[in-house]
Amino acid sequence: MSEAVNPEVLQSSCGWFPAVRSWWRMLTICLEERLAYRSDFALGTLMRFLPIVTQVFLWTAVFAASSRADIAGYSRDNIVAYYLLTMVTRAFSSMPSLAGGISRCIRDGSVKKYLIQPVDYIGFLLASRVAHKLVYYIVAIIPFAAVLFFCRAYFPPAPDGLTIAAYVLSLLLSFLLGFFLEATLGMIAFWFLEVSSIIFAYMLFQYLLSGHMFPIDMLADIPTGISGVSLADVVRLLPFEYTAYFPAAVWLGKITGWELVRGLLLEIVWLVIAIGTCRFVWWRGTKRYSGFGG
Amino acid sequence: MYDNSETKSARVIEVNGLAKEYRVYDKPEGLWASVRGLFQRKNRIIHALRGVDLSVGRGEFLAMLGPNGAGKTTFLKLLSGIITPTQGTARVLGHVPWDRADEFRRRFALVMGQKNQLWWDLPAAESFRLHQEIYRIDPVRFARIRDELVDMLGVARLLGQPVRELSLGERMKLELIAALLHEPEVLFLDEPTIGLDVVAQHTIHEFLRHIQKQRSVTVVLTTHYMKDVAALCERVVVVTGGTILYDGSLEQIVDQFTSHKVVTLDLESPPAAGQIERFGFSCEVNGPRVSLRIDRSRIADALPKLLASQQVRDVSVEDVPLEEIVANLFRGVANRQADVEAKQEVEAV
Amino acid sequence: MTFRANFLLECLTSLGWMSMNLAFYLLIFNFTPEIGRGSGWSREPFFAFVATGLVINAIVQTLFMPSASELTEMVRTGGLDSVLVRPLDAQFLLSMHRFDFSSMANGLVGVGLLVWAVLRFPVAPPLIAFLLYPLLIACGVAILYGLIIMLAAATILMGRNQSLYDFWFYITNFSRYPAEIYSGPWGDPLRTFCTFVIPILLVVNVPAGTLARPLSGESWGMVVMTFAAACLSVGLSRLFFQAALARYRSASS
Repeated sequence: MSEAVNPEVLQSSCGWFPAVRSWWRMLTICLEERLAYRSDFALGTLMRFLPIVTQVFLWTAVFAASSRADIAGYSRDNIVAYYLLTMVTRAFSSMPSLAGGISRCIRDGSVKKYLIQPVDYIGFLLASRVAHKLVYYIVAIIPFAAVLFFCRAYFPPAPDGLTIAAYVLSLLLSFLLGFFLEATLGMIAFWFLEVSSIIFAYMLFQYLLSGHMFPIDMLADIPTGISGVSLADVVRLLPFEYTAYFPAAVWLGKITGWELVRGLLLEIVWLVIAIGTCRFVWWRGTKRYSGFGG
Repeated sequence: MYDNSETKSARVIEVNGLAKEYRVYDKPEGLWASVRGLFQRKNRIIHALRGVDLSVGRGEFLAMLGPNGAGKTTFLKLLSGIITPTQGTARVLGHVPWDRADEFRRRFALVMGQKNQLWWDLPAAESFRLHQEIYRIDPVRFARIRDELVDMLGVARLLGQPVRELSLGERMKLELIAALLHEPEVLFLDEPTIGLDVVAQHTIHEFLRHIQKQRSVTVVLTTHYMKDVAALCERVVVVTGGTILYDGSLEQIVDQFTSHKVVTLDLESPPAAGQIERFGFSCEVNGPRVSLRIDRSRIADALPKLLASQQVRDVSVEDVPLEEIVANLFRGVANRQADVEAKQEVEAV
Repeated sequence: MTFRANFLLECLTSLGWMSMNLAFYLLIFNFTPEIGRGSGWSREPFFAFVATGLVINAIVQTLFMPSASELTEMVRTGGLDSVLVRPLDAQFLLSMHRFDFSSMANGLVGVGLLVWAVLRFPVAPPLIAFLLYPLLIACGVAILYGLIIMLAAATILMGRNQSLYDFWFYITNFSRYPAEIYSGPWGDPLRTFCTFVIPILLVVNVPAGTLARPLSGESWGMVVMTFAAACLSVGLSRLFFQAALARYRSASS
């Protein structure tokens, strides 16, 4: 994933219209890049669903052997729907090579040009991510729709309009949250040389705690030291759940009413914190960086 | 499988009608073309080599001269067995190269300019040792040859350093040594002096000449530098657009491809306008120095007249520079080729 | 970063990934006594299965994957040319010239896990099972090796930069769990395909099954089939690889 258009272009003429035009050009270049890989086009997107196939078979076997009709409130069909929905969430919240790209940019010094020029690096990254995501959706919409349609039997009836609105809102917020969390992560490179291991550790925790592997509700029976507080409750306080679990649970009707409102509010709180942290880290990091000179 | 009689015969390399084609896809430009590119791709055929015939005897030193993309490297890759041809046959030391028989691979060596075959992070001495293992060289013999070659090129102090720390010229020398350690009967060199400074080029030229004489190795060297050719060999093969344009000695190129000579006059004073031009030859006047192109058959006639007409301080009669002849050759063929290719592109989907 | 520190870090990261998966499996067994009704894969046998997978994958990741994934780079830079002119078997050189010992960390954990699981079996496996186990592990490694070589050959033919690891992940994804989970109208054909056509389901299932579940006539059949698959895999892959080399295009001069 490359930032194919220079940020100078975005800033070169004043006014917002040229910026929009260069953003549009970035979009088309990105699209061309994607289309250049012919076989990747359909096959690549479909291949991403393969791990889910294995998971579905696994859970089916689990349900077959246990005498329960549901696990932590999820029937077998629910689980299939859940995994598919987390794929959709991940399509919004996953930021491939964002942290890695930022850390590389810092390490090899190309971040200098953003310090000298009146360009907002984070703003630029956000804009380019939006472009990349849009391209991804254009390319992936057909395989996704095909799979979801094919599996429609596993889904419960569609929720009401208000829930759908909440769902869409949570998706958009998860995009922003995912972006700012990983951007902050990448900026650790201002202080540490070996960032890839830290990034990997983050990915590990995120994978485990975001509900990507299993619905967080399944941790509800696991006690923590504190009475009345299960492991699920603790994990759900963290921001990770919004990158996979939360929107999926909303659509499936596992989170409703006040709980839903609280969840959205918490998501917004975490987003504000993430943006704030990101800005702060950038400010401190660039101060430290330019202190080194040269 | 190889033919025993071939080893004793003089023909070390026999090539007949060797041809190699590649199919290449054009990358679409622009968004709409990219979408169309999903369903339909324009492709064309590149004729890297078009039916080449060649015969090389034992101990010959042959240079293949040609511009980039002429097919020289493709030719060497075919003879080394790296790729297989679309058509035609070849035998090197009696073997079919692309069968890649171990027996064959032990008897030749390939050195590619700017491409490393030595281990990047290890000192050359290690690479040499590995080479000995792979080629199963007798240790006593190996030590003797290695020391001799290292001595000749004066690189003894470089053997302990990792190869990546050395300059291009130094690396090239070590590559050459590595190639000769197993005493190959045939040596293929692909643009060995490319990117090297003049001194390094000269050293390598000397080295190659000496080695070739001493061990009567058959050498095929590709290059686009005239200097390599002039310094090293008598037989030149000019390659352009995948075909052999000329195969013979260097001097004969001049005879074959040009009909005139360059006459340079150093006059006492710059000539008056039109004074030289009236003779009717194409000429270039630079102050007191005049250079004319005169058809060979007319030199004997024209020269005395020219000398008589001016105050001449110095005169020289020379062949058209080789570079120029060859460059013209390349250009002429290239133009013809481009026309043919353009026609083919329209025909292919 | 120093070499040793880097090595340690890579060991830790692969261990971290593995412990996460183990935690997930423990979680599952909170909800069910076994995986797949009547399959025999209760907790300890299942962990023996996981351990077997860890060991086999560790061997493959250490010995073969680093060299194979470098192949794409070699094809791109023309380094493959130098290999082809040497009087040495190209496949041998290309599959064995680089190792990655940090992958052994998972293998060691796998061995530990296996010991823990086997000690807790209600019935000890017969001696013949212990004798067959390492042989079947070798067969599993051979089957995977053949697959790697075929992927590498495909890379040479296509000349693309696609990382081998991606394909590898998708293909071996199906072998992560016991074959018994693939049942039903979709599962059965998948299971047949992955047992008889691309036999990845034999790789871990057969050695683990020999140890963890009672031997029967059917299991002997599987053992024989695994041996056959190992030989076929290695043999076919070599043919395929040679064919790819014959069509090698070589980077432009």
